[in-house]
Amino acid sequence: MNLPDYEFLSAPLWLITVLHILTLTLHFVAMNFLVGGVIMVLYAATRKRWDDPTLKKFGKMFPAAMAATVTLGVAPLLFVQMVYHRQIYSAAIVSGWFWLGIIGVAIAVYYALYRSSLRSEKTGTVSRAALLLALAGLVYISLTYSSIFSLAERPDQMRQLYAQDPTGLVWNPAASDYVLRWLHMILGAVTVGGFFIGMLGRDDPAVFALGKRFFLGGMILAALTGLAYTISLRPYLPALMRSPAIWGLAVGVVLSAGALHFFFKRNFCAAGTMLFVSLLTMVHARHTVRVLKLTGQFDPHSWRVAPQWSVFALFLVCFVVMLAVVVYMLRLVARAK
Amino acid sequence: MIYPFWDVPFSYGILMAVIAVLHVFVSHFAIGGGLFLVVTEHRARRAGDTATLEFLQKLSKMFALVSLVFGALTGVGIWFIIGLLNPTATEALIHNFVWGWAIEWTFFVVEITAAIIYYYGWQRLSARDHLIVGWIYFIAAWLSLFIINGIVAFMLTPGQWLVTGNFWDGFFNPTYWSQLVLRTGICVMLAGLYALLVAARYEASDFKARTVRYSVRWGLIGLAVVAVSLAWYWRTIPAEITGKALQVMPASIKAFHVNSWLLLALAGALAVSWLLARRLPVVLAVVLLALGLAWFGAFEQFRESVRKPFVVTGYIYGNGVPVAKAKAYQQAGLLTQIAYTTGDDGADLFRHSCRSCHTLTGSRPLRPAFDGTDRAFIAAIVRGAHLLKGNMPPFPGTAAEADKIAGYLYERIDHTPIRDGTRAYEVRCGKCHVVGAASDKSKTFTGLSAEDLSGMLDAADSLGEGMPAYTGDAEERAALISYLQQLGKQAKP
Ligand code: HEC
Ligand code: HEC
Repeated sequence: MNLPDYEFLSAPLWLITVLHILTLTLHFVAMNFLVGGVIMVLYAATRKRWDDPTLKKFGKMFPAAMAATVTLGVAPLLFVQMVYHRQIYSAAIVSGWFWLGIIGVAIAVYYALYRSSLRSEKTGTVSRAALLLALAGLVYISLTYSSIFSLAERPDQMRQLYAQDPTGLVWNPAASDYVLRWLHMILGAVTVGGFFIGMLGRDDPAVFALGKRFFLGGMILAALTGLAYTISLRPYLPALMRSPAIWGLAVGVVLSAGALHFFFKRNFCAAGTMLFVSLLTMVHARHTVRVLKLTGQFDPHSWRVAPQWSVFALFLVCFVVMLAVVVYMLRLVARAK
Repeated sequence: MIYPFWDVPFSYGILMAVIAVLHVFVSHFAIGGGLFLVVTEHRARRAGDTATLEFLQKLSKMFALVSLVFGALTGVGIWFIIGLLNPTATEALIHNFVWGWAIEWTFFVVEITAAIIYYYGWQRLSARDHLIVGWIYFIAAWLSLFIINGIVAFMLTPGQWLVTGNFWDGFFNPTYWSQLVLRTGICVMLAGLYALLVAARYEASDFKARTVRYSVRWGLIGLAVVAVSLAWYWRTIPAEITGKALQVMPASIKAFHVNSWLLLALAGALAVSWLLARRLPVVLAVVLLALGLAWFGAFEQFRESVRKPFVVTGYIYGNGVPVAKAKAYQQAGLLTQIAYTTGDDGADLFRHSCRSCHTLTGSRPLRPAFDGTDRAFIAAIVRGAHLLKGNMPPFPGTAAEADKIAGYLYERIDHTPIRDGTRAYEVRCGKCHVVGAASDKSKTFTGLSAEDLSGMLDAADSLGEGMPAYTGDAEERAALISYLQQLGKQAKP
């Protein structure tokens, strides 16, 4: 009997790539809100602004932001696994314990954020400590992702590391591959967090100023680390320069500057849209770097494509229904206020 | 074997079980709890019953925290861990079912959003809107069961998919509907048990009596659905699988029996709670919940274990070897297929062929199975793995590779010779011929002299395909022979 073959893509590669980039960008928006927000609230706390009502409101949104981050993270992980699972699972196995640790840490972060949002005591010591703990957890999770996903781009190195230690206790030693990349992302999160704080605190000059400071400062630092990271890609730079991603990046940089401009003018709709599109271009560039690094070792076009259109159509229907229902529920909430 | 093998020093089954069982408990509870909340809220609102509404708020707090956080993250955790433990099977599932998962994800987004709004909305939303959000929550949560149920059931009974490879054939497979009803019953039952726990913490009162009886009713209804659909479920599993389990997999069958007893005990305990409704002690509620969870654990264990030697029946073996490729590996050798090597061939071969189900000294240990034996014997057992009790996959390599595994294991066992007849039988013969069960050969020994038996042992490797040559020393042989004679005497003709 001929058993069915499982080595195929159930949708064209371009479609999977588009879905991956789109959902990963959404995940990053939620993650940036959370990570940037936590950093800023903690910073404000050192400036004796812990009790600021806007920041309080912000802090109460963290558990929901965490839920959104996790939920929106599931989809891109699903789509990237369709094409690159051989690299990603292998890297995850090589660093098995660190990978698995993400789950435990994420649960702890969740409860810490929840505990912190209660603010049940006067001094705020426990809430602050919980928030600090949550930040440490978020740093662990993001750094682990960066390290494992960059390891996945180097199959030879994975083989070497596994030969030395198959027990899953290996941490990617090629720090130059991911430290700048990670730092760029965290600073990007601070930028976006600044945007959200500024938007929520638009009526409070002090809070808006805080948001502005983080938005601007974060963007400058993110741009610098982004540049440094791009330069550190040296062997792949020529190919990157020839790829469409570089045009995307250029547009992204312009849009980021534009976002800054509109943010200062308090046009949050325009600023937010520009920010989102520029994030999209960065995620696309990130994807391009993966493809370039894997060139010669793995070609995503090598998968046989056997689309399951009927199921995909059902997915699209469900996706639209999902958007409609979520919007409907949010309107119920808005109406109640 | 394109993936590395994650070599952790304990059982994969346990690691998987911890996360999976946690997730399965919480996620079923999240569905049933959603129904409980919204139905009960409906009734309470209509009756203007503020005490019950307060009770529900209390319930929904724990519920939101536990099910949202724990349910969602352990769900992601299962993904993480199956990717680590059986990447090949995960890959196969992803390629076939990715759009199923994507659909489930849309329900998941709705579910999480609704849960948060429901939880924070007790005061803020109007009664009508709050109920609407509650219903949306429950429907989305149940729909995600509707999807994931297809993929879970597929792993045990892929049905026509094995021929057609069609998504829908795999999804609506032979155990799909029975398992869907069964799991829905479980959801309702767990919700009742949990509500009982919250109700038990109230002081004795009319309210408590009413709430306890109401929750007991949920538990009993769920339980009745479970009992009936469990019988149905068993029938929808193809007879090849259940038949084989009844024959050679005592552990799975035991799990199924334990299962039925726990269900009875649960029904009894629920009845007692009904009688004690007014002053139901928290301890009893805890016992009930524990019984429910133990039952559920036993069920999942049965489902997982009866699938052996496969992860996806008829398609991928438990050690990640695709059935379609096993023959090719046996001819060309497994080593050529292993992409991530450590330089120790024996260890690498052992990892990829046996290690996913066995450890050396921990759970399902292989050291005691080989202590006191020799390399030739071990190699023969490795080659004949599919003949052993326990329903194992065939060894996916060449004879020379079996010998390499034997070398690896031989270095790690205790070399004290075997002197006890019972133990000699256990080690040398009992792996395939279980006294009083599968492939019992006791009757063949009846009336045979020591010389006859010794002659039989000399010819052992010609008695059956895959049966090892007898390689024990003279003393062990003598002890074994007297034990065989004893078996022959005890055997019923
Ligand atoms: C899919 C899981 C699985 C794989 C892979 C597997 N086994 Fe097993 N094995 C089992 C189970 C289950 C049992 C039954 C344990 C019991 O009955 O207590 C068993 C039993 C055994 C026994 C008998 C133990 C005893 O008590 O005497 C031996 C020996 C054994 N396996 C060796 C191997 C070897 C060697 C390999 C690799 C070639 C292997 N197994 C691969 C699941 C597996
Ligand atoms: C690797 C599995 C395996 C082991 C270990 C094993 N056997 Fe067997 N044995 C078989 C198979 C397979 C057959 C042939 C099928 C059958 O008759 O069930 C068989 C057949 C037999 C028969 C029946 C021969 C006949 O003509 O009816 C006897 C007797 C027997 N084995 C005795 C033993 C004894 C004694 C030992 C221990 C020294 C032993 N076996 C160890 C697999 C094994």
